Amino acid sequence: MDAGGNIAGEELAVGCVLAIKTTLGEEFEGQVITFDRPSNILVVQEGAPSKPTGDAHRNVRLLKANYIKEFSLLARAEDPLDLSKCYLDLASVQAREDAAIRQAEIDAERIGTGVTMEAQSIFDALFKT
Amino acid sequence: MNLQPVVQPRSTNGLSSRRVDRELASRMDSKLQAPITSSGGLITASLSNGSRKGGFESPSRDRLIFVSTCLIGHPVEVHVKNGSILSGIFHATNAEKDFGIVLKMARVMKDGSVRGSKIVSDIVKRPQTMVIPARELVQVIAKGISLTSDGFVSGHVFGKRQDLMTDSAISQSRRVEGERELERWTPDIDDPQCPELENIFDRHWNRNWDQFETNKALFGVKSTFDEDLYTTKLERGPQMRELEREALRIAREIEDDETHDLHLAEERGVHLDENFDLDEETRFSSVCREIGNDMYKENEDLDDMNRETFGDSFTSVTSGQSFDISQRKNNDGAQASASCSSWDEDGFSLNPSGRDVPLPASIDNNRQLMIDFIPKTVNNDRLKEKHNGDHDGGKNSKEAATEKSDARTSKSVETHPSLDTKESGIDKGVLSASATAYSPSPVQENKDSQNESSGTTGSSKFQARPCSSASSASEHVGETSTSSCPGLSPSSSVGSLSSEKSTLNPHAKEFKLNPNAKSFVPSASLRPHAPAPETTFYYAPNLGLPHMQGLPMGVGIGPSFPGQQPVVYNPQTVQMQAPQAYVSPATPMYGQQMILGQHRPVVYMPGYPPVRQLKHFLSHRNLYS
Repeated sequence: MDAGGNIAGEELAVGCVLAIKTTLGEEFEGQVITFDRPSNILVVQEGAPSKPTGDAHRNVRLLKANYIKEFSLLARAEDPLDLSKCYLDLASVQAREDAAIRQAEIDAERIGTGVTMEAQSIFDALFKT
Repeated sequence: MNLQPVVQPRSTNGLSSRRVDRELASRMDSKLQAPITSSGGLITASLSNGSRKGGFESPSRDRLIFVSTCLIGHPVEVHVKNGSILSGIFHATNAEKDFGIVLKMARVMKDGSVRGSKIVSDIVKRPQTMVIPARELVQVIAKGISLTSDGFVSGHVFGKRQDLMTDSAISQSRRVEGERELERWTPDIDDPQCPELENIFDRHWNRNWDQFETNKALFGVKSTFDEDLYTTKLERGPQMRELEREALRIAREIEDDETHDLHLAEERGVHLDENFDLDEETRFSSVCREIGNDMYKENEDLDDMNRETFGDSFTSVTSGQSFDISQRKNNDGAQASASCSSWDEDGFSLNPSGRDVPLPASIDNNRQLMIDFIPKTVNNDRLKEKHNGDHDGGKNSKEAATEKSDARTSKSVETHPSLDTKESGIDKGVLSASATAYSPSPVQENKDSQNESSGTTGSSKFQARPCSSASSASEHVGETSTSSCPGLSPSSSVGSLSSEKSTLNPHAKEFKLNPNAKSFVPSASLRPHAPAPETTFYYAPNLGLPHMQGLPMGVGIGPSFPGQQPVVYNPQTVQMQAPQAYVSPATPMYGQQMILGQHRPVVYMPGYPPVRQLKHFLSHRNLYS
């Protein structure tokens, strides 16, 4: 693994702002939320590190570390996760998932069977009218 | 784990993902259920459980699981090893082992396999559940995730995604039960641009701005607005000042009149300080009912007394008494009687001698009540009505008189410009209307009708009475009498009454009974429905104009369509120049709605009733003026 200093001292990594280039040609920057060594997954949160924590909607990437081509440390910041606030309401999570699935099913019904993509896109465009 | 590499579903086999061992999936799920349970409760507990179970004590693991849980239900993109991109709803992950992912309703967005370098497929695939083994997983991208407050964002995020949204669900964030406590609006900042609401009417009325001029200047629009078309023309002459003064006096009188009506008081700016518990509804909008009823109830017994009295002598005394002082809002017959009686109960005693001296006293007592009684013009109208075809005898006349009387009561008050005080004004009103005084009793009305055999004669008679009766009384009464007599001249006197709501047209000409008028009998047969193009042809070759002159000029139908010059080609009569409907009341023209012979230019009267009904219209014209 060429993850460099990632493996050692992951505690240091948390909160660091990295610029990462993946083997798939993707580049992004973000703040490290965590790095899980057993699964070799790096969780990165995109967006400015010191954003107000009110209702920050950011992109989160779970990246397998072995696909990191290169990275560079941009800055060191604090832990983006405020551990005192990390609570999850499982019921709401479940509800959210159910709602999403329901919505997706509804969307899926608009998809015709055996139609081409072009036709589908046309249909999608017209469906809203 | 040894999984069949079925990360990317092949395009040909839509169920390729299902080739994943179902047991694998179930295994994954079962494993997943340990750390990530949906049994409620906080994840931290399960996290610790899971970590203890699986031996993953590192906080990083916890964080990963935390993040993963946050992702559940979100649409994510998954990059896999061969470059394909899958998109679906993040459903589960096996955090215990390698990080495999289960996506629901997933679809291949971009096929990275060698075979599918082109667009994914020509055929749109339905979304399905996909399982991505950890080996294939490269990256999971979730957009728009809020990690910190994720736990407690209940309905907010979903509100848009829900398929069925009720209003209460949408606004679920604030659960306010019951009614809100309403607060009175106060302006936040004193906006200098907002005109003060209170004194918006205090400004100068005209503001030196003529809208018509402005319009003409700006847009070149010429206006044909003539104020006199819409309101009574003010005759500015030598009398003007006097009339103005009189009007002002009347206005002041009425406005200063004491009233117990809440709304009237509000209008006049009288503050009712004693009742602070009046809410806004009572003050401004509700209809006050109790007071009127109370008055009515109290005075029921007095009504009888009044009736007797009134029935007895139709003289000035009764007239004085028939001065129905009623509240302004109580304008129906019943309450007229109530007002009568209320008047009575204030100590006014029927004085057959015709003395009106006690009247002022009692008037003073009843300051708050308005005078509600009829000048004799009302009786005139009643008479007209009677003659005009509602031959229902006393009933109609009574009703009509009732209404009219209530409508015009204050008129009589105003006919005396010489009066200074309200009391005297009322007083005079009483006196002047004495003879014409209206009382709810049918007896009197019959008397009225009897007394008024014809419109004008009746009025003159009544004029005589108050004069005579008044003369016996005090001076100001004498004034009244002198002024009342001319004041009571038909119709024109009404013109000076400006304050009270009136249905009278002060400029209407007096109705002169047309003895030839045929009583109106509605008939369905002879009424040609007149759509616009249809013309009603009034052709009366043999009738001379003298018939026409018999009709009062004020009743003209002509003015209704000033723009038309009806050309009635009438070979015999020459004088048909006036643009008025040529109607001969005496001619039985009913059957002659025809166009003779060759095409004659006809009188175009759009939608006008035929002759017979026209007559009815004529006879009733003055009533509606």
